[in-house]
Amino acid sequence: MSLTSNPPSSGGAGPSSANAQRTQTLKRSVQQAFDDPADRGLGPNVGYQSKVRVIDRYKVIGFISSGTYGRVYKACGRHGQTGEFAIKKFKPDKEGEQIQYTGISQSAVREMALCSELSHPSVIKLIEIILEDKCIFMVFEYAEHDLLQIIHHHTQPTRHPIPPSTVKSIMFQLLNGCQYLHANWVLHRDLKPANIMVTSSGEVKIGDLGLARLFNKPLHSLFSGDKVVVTIWYRAPELLLGSRHYTPAIDMWAVGCIFAELLSLRPIFKGEEAKMDSKKTVPFQRNQMQKIVEIMGLPTKEKWPHLVNMPEYSQLSTLSTSSHPKSGSNLEKWYYSTINSHSATSNPSSNASLGAEGYKLLSGLLEYDPERRLTAQQALQHPFFSTGDKVSSNCFEGVKMEYPHRRVSQDDNDIRTSSLPGTKRSGLPDDSRPVKRLKE
Amino acid sequence: MAANYWESTQRRHWQFTRQQLEDLRKKLEDEDQNLVQMYPLPQVRHLSIYFNQQIARLGKRLGVRQQAMATAQLYIRRFYSKVEIRRTNPYLVIATAVYLACKMEECPHHIRLVVSEGRTLWPDFFSSDTSKLGECEFFLISEMSSQMIVHHPYRSLTSLQGTFSLTQEESALAWSIINDHYMTDLPLLFAPHIIALMAILLALVLRPNTTGIQSAGGNAGTIASAAQTALSSAGQFKPTGEKQGATPRTKVQKLANWLAESNIDIEAIVDCTQEIISFYEVQEQYNEKLTREQINRFVKARGLDK
Repeated sequence: MSLTSNPPSSGGAGPSSANAQRTQTLKRSVQQAFDDPADRGLGPNVGYQSKVRVIDRYKVIGFISSGTYGRVYKACGRHGQTGEFAIKKFKPDKEGEQIQYTGISQSAVREMALCSELSHPSVIKLIEIILEDKCIFMVFEYAEHDLLQIIHHHTQPTRHPIPPSTVKSIMFQLLNGCQYLHANWVLHRDLKPANIMVTSSGEVKIGDLGLARLFNKPLHSLFSGDKVVVTIWYRAPELLLGSRHYTPAIDMWAVGCIFAELLSLRPIFKGEEAKMDSKKTVPFQRNQMQKIVEIMGLPTKEKWPHLVNMPEYSQLSTLSTSSHPKSGSNLEKWYYSTINSHSATSNPSSNASLGAEGYKLLSGLLEYDPERRLTAQQALQHPFFSTGDKVSSNCFEGVKMEYPHRRVSQDDNDIRTSSLPGTKRSGLPDDSRPVKRLKE
Repeated sequence: MAANYWESTQRRHWQFTRQQLEDLRKKLEDEDQNLVQMYPLPQVRHLSIYFNQQIARLGKRLGVRQQAMATAQLYIRRFYSKVEIRRTNPYLVIATAVYLACKMEECPHHIRLVVSEGRTLWPDFFSSDTSKLGECEFFLISEMSSQMIVHHPYRSLTSLQGTFSLTQEESALAWSIINDHYMTDLPLLFAPHIIALMAILLALVLRPNTTGIQSAGGNAGTIASAAQTALSSAGQFKPTGEKQGATPRTKVQKLANWLAESNIDIEAIVDCTQEIISFYEVQEQYNEKLTREQINRFVKARGLDK
């Protein structure tokens, strides 16, 4: 649409534009001009036009990642905006030659509305949303790292623990963000290391609210909307057992899993997801539940009174238990063997210093009964944070080494056009295009 | 924020003074003087009544809950504070607002269903092309700066019901007054709890069993003065002993006392009360046919239905 102010004659200026490309540019521009209601002579009935254009405001540095939602690009401002940005471009519904307006998905609407409303140092900050050319661009502050990356770095070349002060600071900031979300009736529903951002100054920021939603006024049961929520390794036992009542406790279980992963550098409950069958019924996630039971023991109705009301309660008896059934949890054993595993090498940054309070916090978060599980507020007040070294607001404080920067690929940084794998590049003039294309 | 009205985008970006709102609308008209002169329209409150009726028709066909319809009405009001109505197809804007509000209020409907119902309701003014509604959604969201979380007075009403021992009839009347306030500028002028208190006060003064809302217009002056008397007593009276009756009179007294002890802006409630009462008067003069014709005229003449 906005191509009307960018006539084809000015196209193809880039050094890399071959003839074929130029032809295509022209073809597309002509096509778009034709499709532009402003040019159709309908007088006042102009189509929607964005007041700002994403490429006028931002210079794309490169491509960061893609997912089911669309793609994320790294960018910097063209008008002296401070800092760097991550621009999330939502995938239009229909892939192909002609993108159509098909109505914005409910999850995108939720994310746009929630991110516009939220404001907290531990939640990734939305800068602006640009609706342009049938696409949605959400511009966020940029974070150099995420927990997945940081955890991975500590497995290379050999496993070495994340310093205890870093773990503590990350947990505190993460809980702080959760507390803010929950106090504002927002469930994140997809907390996992990849969604927890960390800036280069060590600030932790909860990101990707693509699955988040308000839980204060569910007109329909929260269950009815999206049947499956939260990456399976971080999924709370009540969800695995078929609960329809979502509470902030599901986020807290995920936080417990993340805590464990910061300590052991691998997912604590790494189950295999049972796929949905052809009738779209949600299967019981036996393998995932099994992984939990192996460490946590079987849940009991004494410790979790509502357990017997869970839709999949009967499935529990079919799980195989270790040699000593009903003997309870192995979590304590798991915890101490994890935090002490590196101390043999007399590593000064051993996690052994996290001590007994670390175990208590972990077990409070990985509590089977969602009603007894720690809330974010309770967890923030846990002695874990008040004993030992003071919690720093910079999780990298005192850390000597530097974490690798986020990988930014130059493969596709043409944000306005060919942002989808498999769609054709249109060769629009774009000065942010690198001289050397990796793929064309 | 979502739970906190004081931090919300609603308070920070969508609460205006009367003057600000007037300036916004004046600016829109000034920018399109020719259009405004060529296509005269009824006053904003009459347009709002018409929109309200159309939303109700669409909402009924789709089975939409009241709260989502309230959200849609607020979206429309916000939108038209930024965009000259004669530049839009109001039927498309209405359907789009309902479509978007349903997603926000967690009762989504498929775009095709909304379009087909719109087409049934307004066959001469509504395209069957779903991409038109999709495009209008971009327009709507963009003008609202993606600020789509809305705080309604219903919640305050629900939580205050017990405090003022409202009967079912009184609550229902207060509820319907809240429904009505979306046809006024009140949601752009006052906080939701102020609106809720105004509705409770009016419900108590109007006495649901003896006086209906419909007859309100006739003796608006009486109601206004009754409401005002009740409120002005708020500053003066101190709780007078423990006479716990359940008559509306003592309930009004209780409300007045409660307000006197709170930090709530009583002036604002008075202001609100007057606004809604004057709306009920204006409602008496509403002419649906004329309103419809004036809207349809510019939509057709300008080809906005294409």
